[in-house]
Amino acid sequence: MRRVRAALELLAPVVLVIAVALFGTIVSSSTQTYVITTLVNVVIVVALYIFIGNSGVVSFGHISFVAVGAWTAGILSMPAAEKPAIMPSLVGFLRDTTVGNVPSLALAAGVGCVYALIVGLPLMRLSGLAAGIATFGVLEITHNVLRYWEKIGPGVNTFSAVPETTGLLQACVGALVAVGAAFLYQWSRYGRMLRATREDAAAARAVGVSVYGQRLVAFTLSGAVAGLAGGLYAHLLPVSAESFYLDLTFITLAMLVIGGLTSLWGAVVGAVAVSAVDSFLAEAENGVHVLGGKLDLPSGTRIVVVGALMAAVLILRPQGLTGGREAPLPRALVRGVLTKFSA
Amino acid sequence: MTVDWQTIADAFGLGGMYALMAVGIGLVFGVLRLVNFAYGQLVMAGAYALAFAYERGWPVWVGILLCFGVVVVLSIAMDLVVFRPLRTQTPAVMLVATFAVAFLLQSIALLWFGSLGKIAASLSSLNQPWTIGGVDIRKISIVSTGVAAACLVALVLLLGRTDIGLKMRAAAMDFRTARMLGVRANRVIGTAVVLSGLLAATVAVLMTVQTPLVTPDFALRDTILVLAGVVLGGMNRLVSATLGGFAIGFASGFLGGALPTNQSQYLPSFLFAAVILVLLIRPGGLFTRSGQQAVERV
Amino acid sequence: MSTPALVVDALEVRHGAVHAVRGLSLAVDRGEIVGLIGPNGAGKSSTLHAIMGAVPVAGGDVRLNGRSLVGRKPEDVAHAGIALVPEGRRIFAELTVEENLRLAANGDFAEAYELFPAVEEFRKRHAGALSGGQQQQLAIARALVARPEVLLLDEPSLGLAPRIVDLVFDALQRIRERGIAILLVEQRAQRTVALADRTHVLANGRPRLTLGPEAAGDTDTLVSAYLS
Repeated sequence: MRRVRAALELLAPVVLVIAVALFGTIVSSSTQTYVITTLVNVVIVVALYIFIGNSGVVSFGHISFVAVGAWTAGILSMPAAEKPAIMPSLVGFLRDTTVGNVPSLALAAGVGCVYALIVGLPLMRLSGLAAGIATFGVLEITHNVLRYWEKIGPGVNTFSAVPETTGLLQACVGALVAVGAAFLYQWSRYGRMLRATREDAAAARAVGVSVYGQRLVAFTLSGAVAGLAGGLYAHLLPVSAESFYLDLTFITLAMLVIGGLTSLWGAVVGAVAVSAVDSFLAEAENGVHVLGGKLDLPSGTRIVVVGALMAAVLILRPQGLTGGREAPLPRALVRGVLTKFSA
Repeated sequence: MTVDWQTIADAFGLGGMYALMAVGIGLVFGVLRLVNFAYGQLVMAGAYALAFAYERGWPVWVGILLCFGVVVVLSIAMDLVVFRPLRTQTPAVMLVATFAVAFLLQSIALLWFGSLGKIAASLSSLNQPWTIGGVDIRKISIVSTGVAAACLVALVLLLGRTDIGLKMRAAAMDFRTARMLGVRANRVIGTAVVLSGLLAATVAVLMTVQTPLVTPDFALRDTILVLAGVVLGGMNRLVSATLGGFAIGFASGFLGGALPTNQSQYLPSFLFAAVILVLLIRPGGLFTRSGQQAVERV
Repeated sequence: MSTPALVVDALEVRHGAVHAVRGLSLAVDRGEIVGLIGPNGAGKSSTLHAIMGAVPVAGGDVRLNGRSLVGRKPEDVAHAGIALVPEGRRIFAELTVEENLRLAANGDFAEAYELFPAVEEFRKRHAGALSGGQQQQLAIARALVARPEVLLLDEPSLGLAPRIVDLVFDALQRIRERGIAILLVEQRAQRTVALADRTHVLANGRPRLTLGPEAAGDTDTLVSAYLS
């Protein structure tokens, strides 16, 4: 019975991701870029959810893991001949190594995972405000270092000549991998133990749950998923250190909050919904035809709208669009499926 | 590493400004137990008001008045629209919410004023140096330090000697009991909010002297550093929070001036690494006595 | 017969899903001490907090001089003339004794000092430096300087040495003589029953019994009232 409920919980986000991907096949190529970006955003937001949603601790630093993932995949998959153009001071093995597409993504996830582990080892002792400030510090440090350290990357330059392999299929697969990882984690013992600490840390400790240990597990896993997202991003757009800083931190947090902090379904819904609104507004900023009329919004409107939405949700309905619960499939369907499988 | 009197004066000036911001944040935290990520936006709004006045060639005192007016009104609006509804939420939600408000205000400024920035240079004469004992020091460094010190003294007197100050101190310790003794919650919160706004406006005036170009992210980096300093110093007491703000401002100003450029690029990293280190060793704060806990407020 | 100063009428208080107080009615008139005793968790503190407006009233009424207090903010209830001496004293340890008093009222502390000379003696010291007994005296003095019509006390004898308890209960007598209405919540059943004009027994949120001072020596009645 529980297995069936679990399967249904996985089904909804998977169906939504695939639906978005399918939608991407029937639209124009410029719209398709928005769809692909949406799917990559799903990966980031799911990464955020794995940690923040299950632990209740806010992290402002996850975009650091996206950044190092992008750096890893971007630098390693660039053709060796192109590297000196934007990265003249690159250190030896980075300059001489080139890997293929999938290995670059795997390495991106791996580096994200390791970086998260290193950061998490000291930081997971902290909660609440201290954790917020400390993770903000990680974001600042990562951005600062990536921006200026030219031995390991392009510094202030933008990445170029990275193979643009993140199309609809790659992004979709990436999103499904993220959703799958989050699902497996939250149904595992580790996920359940961590959620227990979210509800009542003292009680959880009393039954032997290591708050520190469980948070570290989630943090590391979310770092891996975030790293993967970075790799996907690197293969999609020309990115730079500025791409992975406050703007992206804000908008991905907004997606998680608006969708619903505490559920996987909320993470995916939030990412899709906010990306859709953001994409539409981005188009409107360039002038778009709507219902027979022309809508031409001034540049910068989209951030204001998303920001206002996020603030409104937090103030009026902090549990987000989904109420923080998992997929609410129609009752009749759920009951029907469950009775069929429990007989 | 070059240390001269200008660097030291700058360090004190920056430390003073950060101390004022720390008090502004700490006052609201004391009565509402809420960390206002968006505090820097108040400074930004004040700076834009000054730019507005400067562009129109209005006299300096009019600009300053406008700055104070705008900031205090915005501060009160923030309290009514954001703080009050959020009072029953967890610290995590409050943190993210004020972060959202900060971003929202910044993006509104971007939309309204554009990214190129406005100039607020009415007091730029303060960048001229005074010659003291044969050494040239920019007037603004000394003025900042002096103004900050004066404000802090005024605050100490207000909190220590007046009726409303006493009520605010009590409310920060134990709001529930204070209310049952007749302390009016709205009055105390309102006073904290207004004072916090006055401090932000003061910082805006001082900051625009050295940074006359006002952009939507004006004071953003400073806010983050001040927040780090406040947490590092000790969130729960006004004194420790202020000392923390001063410390990080002083360190930032000192190292920023003393380090050569290729090292000062990494200054944010050093500062935040130090903050994280302190948070790990003394999560209660550097300047607190062990055993000082925050009292539950209702 | 004029209206009693404080009237609690079929009071109901809920903490989430739990009924803390169910249908409690009592009245306290000027110059009276009314006791409220009962085992832990009986709802005694909840009653006082509900009167002060610190917790919401789920049902029934609370009236001061005939006017309902339900829905008013704690600070308004305080200004209307009800003062609370909270459980655990809740004095502001980092303020001076005098500052603690000034919080409640700005006026003349002479009457309070007369009742509690220890408070006057230490008025410039930080309240945290006082002993438990002295802090309790400060807490009562703080309530008194606001010149309330009604005084609520939440377990004032908790953790105090017997000599200090005597001092406190004596003070309560003298406060009664000044015409203040006193509602005394206590764990020390016998002393309360002996002191008060009448004492209500509360158990599991419900009123069980009302006792007069003559029942102070009757241990059996008291015990059965607690355990019923």
